[in-house]
Amino acid sequence: MNKLKKRYVPFMKAGVQALVVYRMNFLGFVIGGLIYCFVMFYLWRAVFESNGGGLFMGFSMTDMVVFLFLSNTTNQLTFSSVCDNIGEEIRDGSISMRLIKPVNTDLSYLFSELGTALMKMVVLLLPMLLGLEIYRFCVTGTVMFNGVQFLLYLFSCVLAYVISFRVNLCFGFMAFYVKNLWGISILKNSVFNFLSGSLIPLAFMPEGLRLCLEYMPFASMSYTPVMIYMGKYSAEETALRIGIQVVWALLLYGLSKLVWFRAVKKLCVQGG
Amino acid sequence: MIYAEHLRKEFKKTIKEPGLKGSFKALFRPKKEIVVAAEDISFHVPKGEILGFIGPNGAGKSTVIKMLTGILTPTSGECRINGHIPQNDRKKYVREIGVVFGQRTQLWWDLPLQETYLVLKEIYEVEEESFKKRMAFLNEVLELDSFIKSPVRTLSLGQRMRADIAASMLHSPKVLFLDEPTIGLDVVVKDKIRQAIMKINKEEQTTVILTTHDISDIELLCDRIVMIDKGKNVYDGSLQKLRENYGQIRELHFETDPESPLTEEQFRQGLPLKESELTIEQDKQTFKVRFNSAAIPVGDMLSHTLSVTRVKDITVRDADVEEIIRRLYQEGGQADE
Repeated sequence: MNKLKKRYVPFMKAGVQALVVYRMNFLGFVIGGLIYCFVMFYLWRAVFESNGGGLFMGFSMTDMVVFLFLSNTTNQLTFSSVCDNIGEEIRDGSISMRLIKPVNTDLSYLFSELGTALMKMVVLLLPMLLGLEIYRFCVTGTVMFNGVQFLLYLFSCVLAYVISFRVNLCFGFMAFYVKNLWGISILKNSVFNFLSGSLIPLAFMPEGLRLCLEYMPFASMSYTPVMIYMGKYSAEETALRIGIQVVWALLLYGLSKLVWFRAVKKLCVQGG
Repeated sequence: MIYAEHLRKEFKKTIKEPGLKGSFKALFRPKKEIVVAAEDISFHVPKGEILGFIGPNGAGKSTVIKMLTGILTPTSGECRINGHIPQNDRKKYVREIGVVFGQRTQLWWDLPLQETYLVLKEIYEVEEESFKKRMAFLNEVLELDSFIKSPVRTLSLGQRMRADIAASMLHSPKVLFLDEPTIGLDVVVKDKIRQAIMKINKEEQTTVILTTHDISDIELLCDRIVMIDKGKNVYDGSLQKLRENYGQIRELHFETDPESPLTEEQFRQGLPLKESELTIEQDKQTFKVRFNSAAIPVGDMLSHTLSVTRVKDITVRDADVEEIIRRLYQEGGQADE
């Protein structure tokens, strides 16, 4: 364990440092996300108002606000750019430099991202949660924060991140076959956004589709933790959802390993 | 130490017909073509040797290096280095080797150079003590001190290359693979890099495989050369032997006095050489004569020259390897046709 830490923590540090060097980039990312949230907020407010206020599919407007902002933040937190990174490294051939290091390829990617994820948690998630709690307090007049839900949320987020990372890893390895991932990556992101329920809550979807999507890995990537935080799940349902996350995390871990062992044999380094 | 046996690597390549129409065709029905980057390459390298791995552009050098370092999997054939098959236990294997690809960097692009070395220290589990010693040694030979605190992306090519060489040597590898380590560098930097390679080879018996287009790299560093062309072995042996085999060619350069003009015919007269054994290039007063010293001793050639004209300046040199290699390439090409 100690060895593992020593060997991979540098990747994490490098990730954080890169983030600091390109902080404007990061800031743009955050502000862009916030603007998107506000656009969605006004859109949904119009929906709620035309519905005559009150509950809409079990969501109050306050719920919707929390959902929108938290879902976006969670998405950013569990978002993994490993797919694009691998794609880029294969396209320009710099993956060679990773292969000549005595490290696990997937772990080295994981740790360089973990740095970013930790930074995001501190500068993005915590202020966002604080803001949302203040908002909820102002609207309802009671403290809605629930420590257990918060801890479960964090735990579920970790699982969500693992799933997102592994899925993206699998997609990234596709670059060994198709050479340029840009198009696939765009397609993947928009499909994921829809299927994961971060664009429209899965609760708003037709029964059959909702059930289906809830068991797919996509919902596990951000919808599950958000619902847990909002207290939309009963205790049994929370256990079930987290169980589903664990199963997917394990399955995708195995799949990504399998894909890696097959793909690396196919590697053809372009240029140089 | 290093065994490469009948290495072969094929790539599938999509070929596109020219023009927009071709692009559409390639989009819907791509035509695949198999490109053979390395056809049949074999060689052995004993421990402690510096091997010059040379060949023209596109001969397959980099592909072979990538197979030896475990990045690419050979289509057929086998390589074994230090008892490892690189593709099978990659993580264990790469611990024992150092790699530099002249056109890429293994340094952390956004970090100060020093941090990269600290990261490498952890990755390769180098002890604090030997790390310090190593850094001092590398600093001394490669003079990293002046830029070790700068972020890698701000380094000049020469600095980056020195830093990359240092990074590849940090963990005392048993084998060093250097793919064009002196590409695009000035003489001073080249010299430093050669010094580093020579020292580490001498002190630690590091085996080195070096690809280069720079003939002086080969002359100064390499014990032996393996030359490949079009994915096949062309030559394997010492540089000296190559020289002997491919003619003891010498080059005589001289400048005549303007008062005593000389023509090619005049010079050629009285020399016991066939047309093919003597080539003369004349540019006004300057002559460049290439001859086979097996057919006429250098001394005789000199006295002949001095007897036919008054020279202002005269030098004799070995034909450079470039010339020999050019001949070998040409022969290889002809044999192929």
